[in-house]
Amino acid sequence: MAISDTVLKRKRRTLIMLLAPFTIMLSVFFLIPLGIMMVYSFLEPGLYGGVEWNWYPYNYGRIIGWPLNDYEEFEPIYLKIFLNSVQIALMTVIGTFLLCYPAAFWVSRMKGAKKNLALFLITLPFFANLLVRIYAWLLLLRPTGFFNTVLQSAGLIIEPLDLLFTNFSVIIGMVYILTPFMFLPIYANVEKLDYSMVRASQDLGANPLQTFRRVILPLTAPGIIGGSVIVFIPALGNFIVPSFLGGSKVQMTGNLIERSFLQSRDWPFGAALALLIMASVVVLVVFQLSRQAKAEARGVS
Amino acid sequence: MFDRILNSKIWGFFFKGYGFLFLGFLYLPLGLIFVYSFNANSINMAVWTEFTFDWYLTIFGGASSQSSFDAAFTESPERIFEVVKHSVIVALSASTVSTVIGTATALALARYKFVGKRFYQALLVLPMIVPDIVLGIALLIFFVGAGFKLSLLTIIIGHTTFLSSYVFVVVSARLAGMDTSLEQASADLGAGPITTFRRVTLPQIMPGVVGGFLLAFIISLDDVVITYFIAGVGAQTLPLFILAMMRRGLRPQINALAVLLLLFSFAVAAIGLYLRSRKS
Amino acid sequence: MSFLKITSAQKAYKTPEGGLIHALDDVSLNVRNNEFLTLLGPSGCGKTTLLKCIAGFEDIDAGEITLEEKSLKGVPAHRRPFNTVFQNYALFPHLNISDNVGYGLDVARVSRKERNHRVDEALELVGLTGFGSREPSQLSGGQQQRVALARSLVLKPRVLLLDEPLSALDRKMRETMQIELKNLQHSVGITFVFVTHDQEEALAMSDRIAVVAHGKVQQLATPTEIYDEPANEFVANFVGTSNIFSGKVVAKEGQILTIETANQRQVLASSDRFDKGDHVELVLRPEHLKMSPGGNGVPDSCIEGTVVAEIFVGSEMHLHVDVGRGRTAIVHHRHNRGDEGERIETGTDVKLYYSPNAAHLIKAVGG
Repeated sequence: MAISDTVLKRKRRTLIMLLAPFTIMLSVFFLIPLGIMMVYSFLEPGLYGGVEWNWYPYNYGRIIGWPLNDYEEFEPIYLKIFLNSVQIALMTVIGTFLLCYPAAFWVSRMKGAKKNLALFLITLPFFANLLVRIYAWLLLLRPTGFFNTVLQSAGLIIEPLDLLFTNFSVIIGMVYILTPFMFLPIYANVEKLDYSMVRASQDLGANPLQTFRRVILPLTAPGIIGGSVIVFIPALGNFIVPSFLGGSKVQMTGNLIERSFLQSRDWPFGAALALLIMASVVVLVVFQLSRQAKAEARGVS
Repeated sequence: MFDRILNSKIWGFFFKGYGFLFLGFLYLPLGLIFVYSFNANSINMAVWTEFTFDWYLTIFGGASSQSSFDAAFTESPERIFEVVKHSVIVALSASTVSTVIGTATALALARYKFVGKRFYQALLVLPMIVPDIVLGIALLIFFVGAGFKLSLLTIIIGHTTFLSSYVFVVVSARLAGMDTSLEQASADLGAGPITTFRRVTLPQIMPGVVGGFLLAFIISLDDVVITYFIAGVGAQTLPLFILAMMRRGLRPQINALAVLLLLFSFAVAAIGLYLRSRKS
Repeated sequence: MSFLKITSAQKAYKTPEGGLIHALDDVSLNVRNNEFLTLLGPSGCGKTTLLKCIAGFEDIDAGEITLEEKSLKGVPAHRRPFNTVFQNYALFPHLNISDNVGYGLDVARVSRKERNHRVDEALELVGLTGFGSREPSQLSGGQQQRVALARSLVLKPRVLLLDEPLSALDRKMRETMQIELKNLQHSVGITFVFVTHDQEEALAMSDRIAVVAHGKVQQLATPTEIYDEPANEFVANFVGTSNIFSGKVVAKEGQILTIETANQRQVLASSDRFDKGDHVELVLRPEHLKMSPGGNGVPDSCIEGTVVAEIFVGSEMHLHVDVGRGRTAIVHHRHNRGDEGERIETGTDVKLYYSPNAAHLIKAVGG
């Protein structure tokens, strides 16, 4: 029985064994490639794909619009696309918020089996394939689609409306896909709402609108912000939705990245763009985590 | 008063109505596909001609009696079966491995304290937060850089990388609710760590493990963006296949395919939910 | 040869703010074979930590734990011949009673026949024959506790460790279980190390008590010794109620010492441990203070004061008496039927008598 390990040493060994698979996997398949991506973004693209190992800040320059040589003009097209992506993502956040906020209260008011059923039905579309959900909106919005057919046969319009390939169609598609992501954080928050605060507010003389603005809204703010972050990030980096619902008219950063990597083989440029997105993600995540940590420290749940 | 207003009939009506509209928004688009899938009209889906099962039949190899039916516009059942097979192989493999990894990691974080635990927790959820496209590119860079040929295997590896995080979240939740003194009692009664895990911990967290597995399975099956970047030429999954179909132009068969995929996903989700609610 | 010996055990925890908590501060303890030893102390004093270290769930930072002179260092919990009864019983919810009790035997791969026989034996021992096929959730708290006991005892451990096992039971059940546990320990002949914060429980059940506070063993003695001769102020206050007066020995006549207290009083105490000039603490239990002088040969000592509160607790009347300088003495006065006319009212001046033999002296800390 002469075992010289202490409890602590044994625990440490088990811990390492348990954490090793994930750590190795994540490092090799994600973190290290991310690092490579960072390096690539500063390299010059090779003529036939691949990279030349020269310091090349022009990838980022191109994003801002810096001309490559004397024959080009300052053309911030890529910057415009990025800003458009941000705008679309923001609109998506607003859209999902407006949709989900009242819905959260609706579900929260229910009791028992009905509530569980409602929650199930709301989260179920999350499991529907992304393409199917986009496809549904294609069917709805295209010139020979549902809306146009109905409107035409009702005699309200003669020519089919151009509903597709606009910022609007992209936003609607993204709202449709990302609704569950906004709903769940807001709902979790609303569920935990302590109605005695609402009653206290009324007791102190506030009318419903004031109570909403001064009590309910601030108390549900964490869920709203959390949901916004979870919606904004995939919206910003999306390329599937604009690819189908935006066509070539609506370009988002995701489309640029896809083209760079899979078509024009300009990896450094794509890497620079991807890092731009990652930077935005990191900023948001850090912001959200620090908010959470501060809330925890203050003792707020 | 807000309480009373919240409970008053008017508000009740408002909320119920809104709920209706909300659910309608979520499901009517999908319902549309469902309806169209039975529409025999192969030229304009939005215009109803007559009811038919044909589009479904073409998926499974049956012929159609429709006169306007053009065989050149549908995919062969063999091709469909092949991509489904690929998808299932990938999903089963990836979810199995990621369940093991995710569970191990969940155990580690639930039972141990260590330096940098906070940081590690953030690392764990990173794959879930990062946009798919960035994940896809990172994986692509790795595979090309390491000289791997893109194939089903690369897809499996890629999926496992981010699925583990999902499993981790589900199993962690289950572990958090578990009584730690049970494991101590087991050790006290003479069971070594592995025996304790087998006889006490695993039975307790099993619903979480199964739930995590099912979640991983569905996510893998449905994945589009990441798979898009790391799939090789001969390794097409069902979603990529549908994507190619959509790019080529919208045809009625897509409706049937979409509905089948929807039903399958929903069935798995329902099973997962049922298992979760059983709690045991 | 010693049985279970703990020598100079140290264990410290780091707090989130960066400080250090000494859960065990140079703890030494000798547990005798077949004894019922209680670790008694307030919450957070280190007694549960000590139990965990004995069981092997935690390591001590320094010091030794030996069983029959063999060190237990490095031996994991599942290989130690000890078993623990947990505070929340920790019955496995996914196993029935029989499988719970037989768990240790199953893990040790004992033959089916022997395992079933021993499980039945254990269940009979705790009075739960026939409960084998039930689920833990179907049992009451008291029954669950007995299953936990059976589960540990079936393995015939050298030492049974009990971590506040009765704290979740209601008063009646607790008293019943106290008697049962004591009898069980006798009949089974296993060493029990029992942890509790309930001093009445400790006094009732133990062969010896180790009073633990602030990570140290304050006193290790029999229940009577702990009560009658507390080693320090903490023990005097923690076990039972005490009236403590500080003072200095000013005269010594044989065994009788005259002590001058802070209020310039001169009181008497009987002791052979102290001398003229020593600083002492005089400990008097409330039941030692009487309202009238005794008559057993030794002259009583007397303390004067004014009643500031009376609390009726049914069997007794508790009086709080202001004896000057802000000190209050607590007196327990037996209550009898018909005492109504003899009620002592607040504000009355009283004389409190005690026999010097009843007083206990502790060496004052800090000279």
